[in-house]
Amino acid sequence: MDFAASSQGVAPATPALAIKILIAGGFGVGKTTLVGTISEIRPLHTEELMSERSIGVDDTSGVEGKVTTTVALDFGRITIREGLWLYLFGTPGQDRFWFMWDELAVGALGAVVLADTRRLQDCFPAVDYFEQRGIPFVVGVNCFDGARRHEPAKIRKALGIAPQIPIILCDVRVKESVKEVLTTLVTYAVKGVPVDPQMAPYPAPYPAQ
Amino acid sequence: MDGPGPLIRLFGLTKGRARPVGEPFDLVAIVTTLRMPAEPAELFPEHLQVLKVCRKPTPVADVAAQLKLPLNITRVILGDLRREGLVAIERPRPAAQAIDERIYREVLHGLRSL
Repeated sequence: MDFAASSQGVAPATPALAIKILIAGGFGVGKTTLVGTISEIRPLHTEELMSERSIGVDDTSGVEGKVTTTVALDFGRITIREGLWLYLFGTPGQDRFWFMWDELAVGALGAVVLADTRRLQDCFPAVDYFEQRGIPFVVGVNCFDGARRHEPAKIRKALGIAPQIPIILCDVRVKESVKEVLTTLVTYAVKGVPVDPQMAPYPAPYPAQ
Repeated sequence: MDGPGPLIRLFGLTKGRARPVGEPFDLVAIVTTLRMPAEPAELFPEHLQVLKVCRKPTPVADVAAQLKLPLNITRVILGDLRREGLVAIERPRPAAQAIDERIYREVLHGLRSL
């Protein structure tokens, strides 16, 4: 085989690092679209088998074994350079798959909570989740066609989130917009402070197309 | 998926186990092939494919995607390969600790140049 004679591998100068970012929010809010807009590859699709931890949720009578169904998991990748990647994981939108969130959240740099102003309450569970676990997050307000523009201050009040948590008006179909959401999150997660207001990407400079 | 058939086949790969052996590892833990087995023919094709993919350090999730296998099946396979001493799986580092100023700037620059 071709790899049998290959070298044993040379340790890179710096260890490889994959940074995990979660994309959360209610069903249909644009999580998969966001990942698809920014990922260098078509969002990779894998499936997680439901384990015994969640088995009580489904009717498994008459089925042998511990696993009966799968949870689709889409994720995207951004290669910064050889050995440094960002991975974006869309969190499962359905409540019964919450058990997967703990798995996804471990070691994550932070999260983007996508909100739709027409159904703001759909993102409450995600906000609660990340607040309770102390995972840094930013709120991306996806401005769909025809969606009314909301002031970040009103959204902040409605969500009841701390003043330092960035709220970004965005369009998940627009690459530049998604880039700003992610750079805002990375800065907030690493520096623990909001970006310079002069640099803040709101009000959204990207009109709906 | 249609019925349990494909799942039963997949679980043959893992001898019915849903959890990997040994220390838990993250979805984006980096997997690196350490060596090829003395008797490659004794491994499942999927195990050999993992070893081939991970000659370049590769995150767990990418291994699953490249092999088109569910994540936890992939993780059982990786746990077995680690037990055999064929792969190393990086101990997870909290992202906040792993990202120093240089990496932070690289990430920002990389995102902005997309």
